[in-house]
Amino acid sequence: MDSLVIEKSRSSPAIRLDASARSLSISGESYPENAAAFYAPVFAWLKTFLADLEPTTMVQVDLAVRYLNSSSTKVMLNFLDLLEQAAQDGAQVIVNWRYDPDNESILECGQDFSEELTALTFNLVEQSQEPP
Amino acid sequence: MSTSTLDLTRLQDELRYQGILMSFSGPFSHSIIEELGKAIRHHLESTQVAGSALMDVFAVYIEQAQNVRNYISRLESGPEQTRLAGSGIVVIAQDEQRYVISSGNLLDRTDAPALVAHLERLRSLDKAGLKALYKEQMRQPLNPQGGAGLGLICMARKGAAPLEYALGDVDERYVFFSLRVVI
Repeated sequence: MDSLVIEKSRSSPAIRLDASARSLSISGESYPENAAAFYAPVFAWLKTFLADLEPTTMVQVDLAVRYLNSSSTKVMLNFLDLLEQAAQDGAQVIVNWRYDPDNESILECGQDFSEELTALTFNLVEQSQEPP
Repeated sequence: MSTSTLDLTRLQDELRYQGILMSFSGPFSHSIIEELGKAIRHHLESTQVAGSALMDVFAVYIEQAQNVRNYISRLESGPEQTRLAGSGIVVIAQDEQRYVISSGNLLDRTDAPALVAHLERLRSLDKAGLKALYKEQMRQPLNPQGGAGLGLICMARKGAAPLEYALGDVDERYVFFSLRVVI
Protein backbone atom coordinates (compact mmCIF):
# COMPACT_ATOMS: atom_id res chain seq x y z
CA MET A 1 0.00 0.00 0.00
CA ASP A 2 1.34 3.44 -0.95
CA SER A 3 2.08 6.11 1.59
CA LEU A 4 -0.05 9.23 1.60
CA VAL A 5 1.91 12.46 1.88
CA ILE A 6 0.30 15.91 1.90
CA GLU A 7 2.53 18.96 2.30
CA LYS A 8 1.45 21.61 4.77
CA SER A 9 -0.04 24.94 3.79
CA ARG A 10 -0.85 27.91 5.99
CA SER A 11 -4.30 26.53 6.85
CA SER A 12 -3.73 22.79 6.50
CA PRO A 13 -1.31 20.42 8.23
CA ALA A 14 1.50 18.21 6.96
CA ILE A 15 0.26 14.62 6.71
CA ARG A 16 2.45 11.51 6.47
CA LEU A 17 0.67 8.17 6.46
CA ASP A 18 3.17 5.34 6.02
CA ALA A 19 1.61 1.89 5.69
CA SER A 20 4.86 -0.14 5.77
CA ALA A 21 6.14 1.58 8.94
CA ARG A 22 2.57 1.64 10.34
CA SER A 23 3.26 5.20 11.29
CA LEU A 24 0.73 8.03 10.88
CA SER A 25 1.57 11.66 11.54
CA ILE A 26 -0.29 14.96 11.29
CA SER A 27 1.42 18.21 12.23
CA GLY A 28 0.73 21.91 11.85
CA GLU A 29 -2.46 23.93 11.78
CA SER A 30 -5.83 22.98 10.41
CA TYR A 31 -8.50 25.46 9.34
CA PRO A 32 -9.00 24.63 5.66
CA GLU A 33 -11.79 26.18 3.64
CA ASN A 34 -13.66 22.86 3.67
CA ALA A 35 -12.40 20.34 6.22
CA ALA A 36 -14.55 17.47 4.92
CA ALA A 37 -13.13 17.86 1.41
CA PHE A 38 -9.55 18.34 2.60
CA TYR A 39 -9.53 15.21 4.78
CA ALA A 40 -11.47 12.94 2.37
CA PRO A 41 -8.25 11.31 0.97
CA VAL A 42 -6.97 10.76 4.52
CA PHE A 43 -10.12 8.84 5.45
CA ALA A 44 -10.03 6.82 2.24
CA TRP A 45 -6.39 5.85 2.98
CA LEU A 46 -7.04 5.07 6.66
CA LYS A 47 -10.03 2.84 5.96
CA THR A 48 -8.03 0.75 3.46
CA PHE A 49 -5.04 0.61 5.82
CA LEU A 50 -7.13 -0.55 8.77
CA ALA A 51 -9.06 -3.10 6.71
CA ASP A 52 -5.75 -4.79 5.77
CA LEU A 53 -4.28 -4.63 9.28
CA GLU A 54 -3.29 -7.91 10.97
CA PRO A 55 -4.61 -8.22 14.55
CA THR A 56 -2.18 -7.28 17.35
CA THR A 57 -0.16 -5.07 14.96
CA MET A 58 1.27 -1.93 16.47
CA VAL A 59 0.28 1.42 14.93
CA GLN A 60 2.09 4.59 15.96
CA VAL A 61 0.18 7.86 15.57
CA ASP A 62 1.90 11.18 16.07
CA LEU A 63 -0.29 14.27 16.28
CA ALA A 64 1.54 17.59 16.70
CA VAL A 65 -1.09 20.16 15.84
CA ARG A 66 -0.94 23.78 16.93
CA TYR A 67 -4.48 24.70 16.02
CA LEU A 68 -7.67 22.92 14.91
CA ASN A 69 -10.74 24.90 13.92
CA SER A 70 -14.11 23.49 14.94
CA SER A 71 -14.74 21.48 11.77
CA SER A 72 -11.19 20.06 11.85
CA THR A 73 -11.82 19.05 15.48
CA LYS A 74 -14.81 17.02 14.37
CA VAL A 75 -12.79 15.44 11.57
CA MET A 76 -9.96 14.61 13.99
CA LEU A 77 -12.43 12.87 16.31
CA ASN A 78 -13.69 10.77 13.37
CA PHE A 79 -10.07 9.91 12.53
CA LEU A 80 -9.41 8.83 16.14
CA ASP A 81 -12.70 6.89 16.26
CA LEU A 82 -11.52 4.72 13.35
CA LEU A 83 -8.28 4.02 15.24
CA GLU A 84 -10.27 3.32 18.40
CA GLN A 85 -12.28 0.73 16.49
CA ALA A 86 -9.03 -0.88 15.27
CA ALA A 87 -7.78 -0.99 18.86
CA GLN A 88 -11.02 -2.65 19.97
CA ASP A 89 -10.44 -5.21 17.20
CA GLY A 90 -7.03 -6.06 18.64
CA ALA A 91 -4.50 -3.65 17.11
CA GLN A 92 -2.08 -1.95 19.46
CA VAL A 93 -2.68 1.72 18.71
CA ILE A 94 -0.52 4.34 20.39
CA VAL A 95 -1.42 7.99 19.87
CA ASN A 96 1.00 10.71 20.99
CA TRP A 97 -0.71 14.08 21.22
CA ARG A 98 2.18 16.56 21.23
CA TYR A 99 1.37 19.96 22.66
CA ASP A 100 3.41 23.07 23.20
CA PRO A 101 3.45 24.13 26.90
CA ASP A 102 2.65 27.65 25.71
CA ASN A 103 -0.55 26.50 23.97
CA GLU A 104 -3.19 25.62 26.56
CA SER A 105 -6.02 25.32 24.00
CA ILE A 106 -4.38 22.44 22.17
CA LEU A 107 -3.70 20.62 25.46
CA GLU A 108 -7.41 20.99 26.35
CA CYS A 109 -8.31 19.74 22.91
CA GLY A 110 -6.14 16.64 23.51
CA GLN A 111 -7.80 16.13 26.89
CA ASP A 112 -11.25 16.37 25.26
CA PHE A 113 -10.24 13.64 22.79
CA SER A 114 -8.64 11.40 25.40
CA GLU A 115 -11.93 11.34 27.36
CA GLU A 116 -13.67 9.96 24.27
CA LEU A 117 -11.22 7.09 23.68
CA THR A 118 -10.65 4.01 25.81
CA ALA A 119 -9.21 1.11 23.79
CA LEU A 120 -6.26 2.93 22.25
CA THR A 121 -3.36 4.39 24.23
CA PHE A 122 -3.55 8.18 24.20
CA ASN A 123 -0.51 10.01 25.56
CA LEU A 124 -0.37 13.74 26.15
CA VAL A 125 3.24 14.68 25.45
CA GLU A 126 4.62 18.11 26.24
CA GLN A 127 6.96 19.26 23.49
CA SER A 128 7.98 22.74 22.44
CA GLN A 129 7.16 23.33 18.81
CA GLU A 130 8.65 25.59 16.21
CA PRO A 131 6.28 28.30 15.01
CA PRO A 132 5.06 27.71 11.45
CA MET B 1 -11.23 64.46 -5.20
CA SER B 2 -11.89 66.85 -2.32
CA THR B 3 -9.40 67.05 0.55
CA SER B 4 -12.03 65.90 3.08
CA THR B 5 -12.25 62.43 1.50
CA LEU B 6 -8.48 62.10 1.73
CA ASP B 7 -8.19 63.15 5.34
CA LEU B 8 -8.22 59.92 7.33
CA THR B 9 -7.55 61.44 10.74
CA ARG B 10 -11.20 61.22 11.80
CA LEU B 11 -11.36 57.56 10.86
CA GLN B 12 -8.03 57.00 12.60
CA ASP B 13 -9.24 58.77 15.75
CA GLU B 14 -12.34 56.59 15.78
CA LEU B 15 -10.29 53.39 15.36
CA ARG B 16 -8.00 54.46 18.22
CA TYR B 17 -10.94 55.43 20.42
CA GLN B 18 -12.51 52.01 19.90
CA GLY B 19 -9.17 50.22 20.44
CA ILE B 20 -9.46 48.58 17.02
CA LEU B 21 -6.32 46.65 16.08
CA MET B 22 -7.67 45.24 12.86
CA SER B 23 -10.88 45.08 10.92
CA PHE B 24 -12.10 43.76 7.61
CA SER B 25 -15.40 44.69 6.02
CA GLY B 26 -16.45 43.26 2.68
CA PRO B 27 -16.43 39.96 0.82
CA PHE B 28 -14.38 37.34 2.67
CA SER B 29 -12.34 34.83 0.75
CA HIS B 30 -10.38 31.99 2.33
CA SER B 31 -7.09 33.70 1.43
CA ILE B 32 -8.21 36.97 3.08
CA ILE B 33 -9.10 35.01 6.24
CA GLU B 34 -5.61 33.42 6.17
CA GLU B 35 -3.79 36.72 5.58
CA LEU B 36 -5.63 38.62 8.32
CA GLY B 37 -5.05 35.73 10.69
CA LYS B 38 -1.34 35.89 9.99
CA ALA B 39 -1.33 39.66 10.50
CA ILE B 40 -3.12 39.55 13.85
CA ARG B 41 -0.80 36.80 15.11
CA HIS B 42 2.28 38.78 14.14
CA HIS B 43 0.86 41.83 15.85
CA LEU B 44 0.07 39.94 19.07
CA GLU B 45 3.48 38.23 19.06
CA SER B 46 5.13 41.64 18.82
CA THR B 47 3.21 42.81 21.91
CA GLN B 48 4.41 39.82 23.98
CA VAL B 49 0.91 38.56 24.69
CA ALA B 50 0.86 35.09 26.34
CA GLY B 51 0.78 32.20 23.88
CA SER B 52 -2.55 30.86 25.13
CA ALA B 53 -4.33 34.22 24.82
CA LEU B 54 -2.84 34.70 21.37
CA MET B 55 -4.18 31.35 20.18
CA ASP B 56 -7.60 32.05 21.74
CA VAL B 57 -7.88 35.40 19.91
CA PHE B 58 -6.78 33.71 16.69
CA ALA B 59 -9.21 30.80 17.20
CA VAL B 60 -12.21 33.06 17.85
CA TYR B 61 -11.29 35.22 14.84
CA ILE B 62 -11.09 32.11 12.58
CA GLU B 63 -14.43 30.73 13.84
CA GLN B 64 -16.15 34.09 13.33
CA ALA B 65 -14.68 34.75 9.89
CA GLN B 66 -15.43 31.21 8.68
CA ASN B 67 -18.96 31.37 10.12
CA VAL B 68 -19.63 34.63 8.27
CA ARG B 69 -18.19 33.23 5.05
CA ASN B 70 -20.01 29.88 5.33
CA TYR B 71 -23.33 31.51 6.16
CA ILE B 72 -23.13 34.03 3.35
CA SER B 73 -22.05 31.44 0.78
CA ARG B 74 -25.01 29.29 1.81
CA LEU B 75 -27.43 32.20 1.22
CA GLU B 76 -25.75 33.61 -1.85
CA SER B 77 -27.87 33.24 -4.94
CA GLY B 78 -29.59 35.66 -7.24
CA PRO B 79 -29.37 39.42 -7.43
CA GLU B 80 -28.63 40.03 -3.74
CA GLN B 81 -25.30 38.20 -3.90
CA THR B 82 -23.11 41.32 -3.90
CA ARG B 83 -25.02 42.93 -1.06
CA LEU B 84 -24.86 39.79 1.07
CA ALA B 85 -21.20 39.11 0.39
CA GLY B 86 -20.34 42.71 1.16
CA SER B 87 -22.15 42.63 4.52
CA GLY B 88 -19.51 40.61 6.38
CA ILE B 89 -17.30 42.29 8.94
CA VAL B 90 -14.79 41.12 11.55
CA VAL B 91 -13.19 43.44 14.11
CA ILE B 92 -10.43 42.71 16.61
CA ALA B 93 -10.06 45.29 19.37
CA GLN B 94 -8.14 45.68 22.59
CA ASP B 95 -9.90 46.89 25.74
CA GLU B 96 -7.26 47.32 28.43
CA GLN B 97 -6.13 43.76 29.25
CA ARG B 98 -8.91 42.13 27.24
CA TYR B 99 -9.27 41.34 23.55
CA VAL B 100 -12.67 41.73 21.92
CA ILE B 101 -13.40 39.88 18.68
CA SER B 102 -16.63 40.85 16.91
CA SER B 103 -18.29 39.88 13.67
CA GLY B 104 -21.39 40.84 11.75
CA ASN B 105 -23.36 39.91 8.66
CA LEU B 106 -26.81 40.10 7.14
CA LEU B 107 -29.02 37.32 8.46
CA ASP B 108 -32.18 36.01 6.83
CA ARG B 109 -35.03 36.75 9.26
CA THR B 110 -36.22 33.14 9.00
CA ASP B 111 -32.86 32.00 10.44
CA ALA B 112 -33.01 34.39 13.40
CA PRO B 113 -35.22 32.45 15.88
CA ALA B 114 -33.09 29.29 15.81
CA LEU B 115 -29.86 31.30 16.12
CA VAL B 116 -31.22 33.32 19.04
CA ALA B 117 -32.42 30.15 20.80
CA HIS B 118 -28.97 28.58 20.34
CA LEU B 119 -27.16 31.69 21.63
CA GLU B 120 -29.46 32.00 24.63
CA ARG B 121 -28.84 28.37 25.48
CA LEU B 122 -25.07 28.93 25.29
CA ARG B 123 -25.38 32.07 27.44
CA SER B 124 -27.21 30.09 30.13
CA LEU B 125 -24.55 27.37 30.43
CA ASP B 126 -21.47 27.37 32.65
CA LYS B 127 -18.09 26.03 31.46
CA ALA B 128 -18.96 22.43 32.41
CA GLY B 129 -22.31 22.68 30.58
CA LEU B 130 -20.60 24.13 27.51
CA LYS B 131 -18.05 21.32 27.51
CA ALA B 132 -20.83 18.70 27.68
CA LEU B 133 -22.69 20.37 24.80
CA TYR B 134 -19.45 20.64 22.80
CA LYS B 135 -18.82 16.91 23.18
CA GLU B 136 -22.36 16.09 22.14
CA GLN B 137 -22.09 18.32 19.06
CA MET B 138 -18.64 16.94 18.22
CA ARG B 139 -20.38 13.61 17.52
CA GLN B 140 -22.84 15.09 15.00
CA PRO B 141 -21.91 14.62 11.32
CA LEU B 142 -20.17 17.41 9.43
CA ASN B 143 -22.45 19.18 6.99
CA PRO B 144 -21.42 19.26 3.30
CA GLN B 145 -20.65 23.01 3.35
CA GLY B 146 -17.92 22.24 5.86
CA GLY B 147 -19.65 23.76 8.88
CA ALA B 148 -19.55 21.82 12.11
CA GLY B 149 -22.17 23.60 14.23
CA LEU B 150 -19.40 23.77 16.81
CA GLY B 151 -18.11 27.28 16.17
CA LEU B 152 -20.36 29.18 18.56
CA ILE B 153 -19.90 26.60 21.34
CA CYS B 154 -16.15 26.77 20.83
CA MET B 155 -16.26 30.60 21.11
CA ALA B 156 -18.44 30.39 24.21
CA ARG B 157 -15.95 28.02 25.85
CA LYS B 158 -13.05 30.37 25.17
CA GLY B 159 -14.88 33.55 26.17
CA ALA B 160 -14.16 35.31 29.46
CA ALA B 161 -17.84 36.33 29.57
CA PRO B 162 -21.04 34.99 27.93
CA LEU B 163 -21.40 35.62 24.19
CA GLU B 164 -23.06 38.95 23.40
CA TYR B 165 -25.14 39.47 20.29
CA ALA B 166 -27.51 41.96 18.70
CA LEU B 167 -30.00 41.87 15.83
CA GLY B 168 -30.52 45.16 13.99
CA ASP B 169 -33.47 45.87 11.71
CA VAL B 170 -32.52 46.13 8.03
CA ASP B 171 -35.49 45.38 5.79
CA GLU B 172 -38.31 42.88 5.30
CA ARG B 173 -35.98 40.05 4.48
CA TYR B 174 -32.87 40.66 6.57
CA VAL B 175 -31.63 41.65 9.99
CA PHE B 176 -28.01 42.48 10.78
CA PHE B 177 -26.46 40.00 13.20
CA SER B 178 -23.59 41.18 15.44
CA LEU B 179 -21.62 38.89 17.75
CA ARG B 180 -19.06 39.88 20.38
CA VAL B 181 -16.60 37.63 22.22
CA VAL B 182 -14.29 38.82 25.01
CA ILE B 183 -11.00 36.98 25.64
